[in-house]
Amino acid sequence: MSELELSAHSGHAGLMEESPYGIPSGKLAMWCFVLSDAVTFGAVLFAYGYLRIGSPDWSTPFSFTPSILNGLVMTFVLLTSGLTMLAAVEAAKAGRTAAGTRWLWATCALGALFAALHLLEWRRMFEEGWRLFQNPTGGSVEFGAAFFSITGLHLLHVIGGVVALATIAIGFARQKYNRIDVEVLGIYWHFVDLVWMFVFPLVYLMNAK
Amino acid sequence: MSEAAGLPAGHHHTAPTGFIRKYIFSVDHKVIGLQYYGLALLAVFIGMALSWLMRLHLGWANLAIPGLEKLSATGAPGNIMTPEYYLSLMTMHGTIMVFFVLTTAPFAGFGNYFLPIQVGAADMAFPRMNMMSFWVTFVAFAVMMSAFFVPGGPPLSGWTAYAPLSDVGQTAGPGQGWGQTMWAISIAIFCVGQLLGSINFIATTLDLRTRGMSLIRLPLSTWAWFITSVIGLMAFAVLLPACILLILDRVAGTSFFLPSGLVFNDQMLTHSGGSPLLWQHLFWFFGHPEVYIAILPAIGIVSHILPAFLRKPPLGPRVLVGCMVAIGFLSYMVWGHHMFVSGMNPFSAILFSVPTLVITIPATIATLLWIGSVYGSRMKFTTAALFCLGFISVFTTGGLSGFFLAQPTIDVYLHATYFVVAHFHFVMAVAAIFGIFAGTYFWMPKMVGRMMNETLGKIHFWITFVGVYCIFMPMHYIGLAGNIRRYAAFTDNFLIPLIPVHKFITIAALITGAAQFIFLFNLIHTRFWGPKAADNPWGATSLEWSTTSPPPFDNFGGKQLVVHQEAYLYGVQGAAQDFVMQTAPEVVKSS
Amino acid sequence: MTVEDSPHVPGMKFFVAVWIGLMCIVGVEVIVTFQHPSPRVLLASLLFLAFVEAAVAVFYFMHLKFERAALAWSALPLFVFVMFMMDQIWPDAFRLLSMRLLSQ
Repeated sequence: MSELELSAHSGHAGLMEESPYGIPSGKLAMWCFVLSDAVTFGAVLFAYGYLRIGSPDWSTPFSFTPSILNGLVMTFVLLTSGLTMLAAVEAAKAGRTAAGTRWLWATCALGALFAALHLLEWRRMFEEGWRLFQNPTGGSVEFGAAFFSITGLHLLHVIGGVVALATIAIGFARQKYNRIDVEVLGIYWHFVDLVWMFVFPLVYLMNAK
Repeated sequence: MSEAAGLPAGHHHTAPTGFIRKYIFSVDHKVIGLQYYGLALLAVFIGMALSWLMRLHLGWANLAIPGLEKLSATGAPGNIMTPEYYLSLMTMHGTIMVFFVLTTAPFAGFGNYFLPIQVGAADMAFPRMNMMSFWVTFVAFAVMMSAFFVPGGPPLSGWTAYAPLSDVGQTAGPGQGWGQTMWAISIAIFCVGQLLGSINFIATTLDLRTRGMSLIRLPLSTWAWFITSVIGLMAFAVLLPACILLILDRVAGTSFFLPSGLVFNDQMLTHSGGSPLLWQHLFWFFGHPEVYIAILPAIGIVSHILPAFLRKPPLGPRVLVGCMVAIGFLSYMVWGHHMFVSGMNPFSAILFSVPTLVITIPATIATLLWIGSVYGSRMKFTTAALFCLGFISVFTTGGLSGFFLAQPTIDVYLHATYFVVAHFHFVMAVAAIFGIFAGTYFWMPKMVGRMMNETLGKIHFWITFVGVYCIFMPMHYIGLAGNIRRYAAFTDNFLIPLIPVHKFITIAALITGAAQFIFLFNLIHTRFWGPKAADNPWGATSLEWSTTSPPPFDNFGGKQLVVHQEAYLYGVQGAAQDFVMQTAPEVVKSS
Repeated sequence: MTVEDSPHVPGMKFFVAVWIGLMCIVGVEVIVTFQHPSPRVLLASLLFLAFVEAAVAVFYFMHLKFERAALAWSALPLFVFVMFMMDQIWPDAFRLLSMRLLSQ
């Protein structure tokens, strides 16, 4: 078999040992990153739990409207972006570049919408007097610290994902990126969604009035 | 082509041209490995100089050290170190040594250089991300160094940066303003660099092994780098948010680690709700795996080098890999043994003490395997071999003191004494450094194509080996006598009689430190004027010795190696020479 | 099978069904919250539901179910172990309550 016929990952062509997981290196790398980032978010959530348990004056300020409802909308948006991401990956795998690109842009738009809704929520809370170090209801100041740091860290990941989605969408259309790149980004984007599946119940619902 | 797919089989990348692409922003793992090594070399001499300043002050209180005032006018007025500045120098000494030497050289330095070669690959799985990891680490180092020059100078809270001292800002003391913030930012950046590096090591080890290089046939050094990167992937993932929360407390007014009621300089702080213990938990959750990240590569390197000079396969290599995995696994279970006297739940102390004692088991098995390997061998006493033997000695010594510290009842007495200082210096400062030295003397011929001077090497070894025992052995005894650590001066009645011991230690430290310049001279002289090295000057078996010294830019000159043998076939009867390389196709009768 | 062969993954219909299931779990979470159970019960319920959601997301959305089993067996126990170890901090969180300053 000539070298030209070798594809990128054919360990079975005999030149290399097969990876024990049978996935391209880029995917493995993203799984490692996700594992590490999950531990990071875990540590932050543990810190939140630790401080909350130790605070007798913890506030639960979120009423259904506007906070929980807004959170629900954000959850819906993010979950749907997961669905559009899956559509993008499926299209990319099937070689449908135009469709894949469109779904990537849809995911990007939904992610941006999530970020916008989140920032609007933050602005509303700032106006009510919430800060990293301030609690307008008179309860523990750790509430603001935990809330803004956890949601802020998540928001950073969302914004990073939105930028990556736009980059890959542009590059995929131009065939600079391939379907593996789309799949790898998909793993990251679903991870961002996964983190929200813990943030929403633990940070929003646990603090519902 | 997109890098997400990783480097494909049969991929030829063209050699870089131009000085910048070749030596500065290089994607070649060998250049990157040498860059990390060079960074660690710079860091270790800075860290060592800091230790000299500390030791001079401890042996001779109120000594005027020429030039110190230039480094810090407030820290050393009239060239005499203030107690605060002593603590600052101590903080930077620890930080620089742990992060920029011990985590950098054995793992990022040698690992980057040799992991791809030992698995038979042309480069790491993600060469550009590899280049980014180094420059991120370099930026972290630059930010850390900036702490010396910012207003207030470097922080004084120790490399462990306990809250509330590290957390409240300028009011806590000199260096606790800008200096501490720079420290926290630097460490956060460092975490990112390590994360990227770990991902690369894992992907390369799993995906880029050449044909025949099954996981069983991997050299022990590769196993060690692989296991270290898995540990690091999750350990640094906890340090990063800890540093972020620390920075938020310092600049954004949060109170993650600050309770209410704190009074500094007669002023009550407005923070409330936080817990200093939380910082300790988060920090040591990282901190304990970190010390195994520091030692495991050295364990792998020594295990890899020894057989070449024993001319005998290592005893129980698979058991040794099992020990490394066990150590990695257990390292996540023991962090509370740093916190026995912190005020944490006493019941937790049991939960932490038991796994700490258990972790001594794989470490002991590994030591017995090395000793068993040496037994009955005809050892070639090269400098690299001597440092391996020295490693076994100091690792054992340092490990033994760990048995005592693992038990809360004894630790209540020994915590924060020089006994602890002796323990961690033996296992980290000495054992891990000996691993780096062994690796340097063994691999320098391969890296630069020239042999190091053996005479100078042996002089370096003997002075260092005797020297470190002179420095750190007495620390056990003064620790037992109650000598508290992190004190700038010894003025209590029970400490004054110990000062002569400190003087002895200081002199030993200066002499041992001076001997390191022999090593530095040897390095530089070798690089430019050393005798040319053959491809396989030691008659060793692993893949790095199947290529030229130094290797070509794609490691094997376009050849895709095929591996037929396990890693340590030394002392083979009936072979043409007394060893069989991993690439040799002949059938070897197992003895 | 070479690495190049992508795992056989179900079509979009399947994932829409999964998505509906996830939205239902979120709905249950909200309903449970506004039954106002005790914090302990609420936390336990929400954590349980969150883990179910997470498992669905990881195995289906992130396709872990369709990859080689070795990947799931490597990554998940490692992650669970690390998080389980971190649980050792809870005793100190509870002690924190009794160690606070009495007056403010």
